[in-house]
Amino acid sequence: MAWGEDNELVARAVSSQDTRAFGELIRRHQSHVRNFLRKLSGDTSAADDLAQDCFMRAWDKLHTFSGRGSFIGWLLKIAYTTFLQSKRKSKRYSEILEQVGHVSVAESRNYSVQADEVGDLDKFLAVLSEEERAIMVMSYACGLSHREISEATSMPVGSVKSVIFRGKEKIRTSFDIKDHQHG
Amino acid sequence: MTSKIINMAERIKDEQDRLLESMFESAPIADDGFSGQIVRRIRRRLWVRRVTLPLAALLGGLVAFQPMVALLKGLYSVLSSMPIDFVPSLSDSLPSLQLIVTGALILFVTLFSLSMLED
Repeated sequence: MAWGEDNELVARAVSSQDTRAFGELIRRHQSHVRNFLRKLSGDTSAADDLAQDCFMRAWDKLHTFSGRGSFIGWLLKIAYTTFLQSKRKSKRYSEILEQVGHVSVAESRNYSVQADEVGDLDKFLAVLSEEERAIMVMSYACGLSHREISEATSMPVGSVKSVIFRGKEKIRTSFDIKDHQHG
Repeated sequence: MTSKIINMAERIKDEQDRLLESMFESAPIADDGFSGQIVRRIRRRLWVRRVTLPLAALLGGLVAFQPMVALLKGLYSVLSSMPIDFVPSLSDSLPSLQLIVTGALILFVTLFSLSMLED
């Protein structure tokens, strides 16, 4: 079956609860969403669980998609919110465990990768704050425009630009990257 | 005009932007049943929602049946224990046949007169 544009699929999924149309939307965008969450969390299986939650939420909120921005931008907004909420939840869980004495189990899941499996990107991401990481990934990995990132993160466009600038500066200074080296 | 300038500025990428793009670039992740799994979860949830409402209504009806019968019985016994002149008789509350026929005649004449006036 030939499927149309994203907006057409969304309309079909909303109007007639068409799960096949929504399935096609998932097939189209799952790679971007999973890559985004993997880079954000640094954990493949946790990221895939979050991606599942993200798509379930997207199904519930599908009627709120106005069609003005891109569907992937809207999806990444949900993915980012899902990530932040799970982070908050695990932080609360850690605090409770710490209170009852399970300190070793309670280690919070900060972005950390094993020393022997660290790639260049992982090293770059590790120097960034969570917000910078999310915005940099949206910009450079998912190819979202500053406006789309602004919508996804509910930040003004100017702030998005300054976060990207700050992130680039951090990477540049941490790894002593000079523009002419990679020309 | 301003937005055009901003868009142009966004497109102009420096060397570091290109480096970062290549660094952030990652191979597409194969679906491998991922989407199917979510669709199944959604269908299951839809089915549960569809079944839950009628089931809850049925259960609620079953639970409410006995108290409802008891309530009606109680009402009946209260009404039957009242003195007979307290409850107005049905024949007193209904209008007489003479009155109904007169009312119908007046209504018919009024409507007929109104239609004649319209013509």
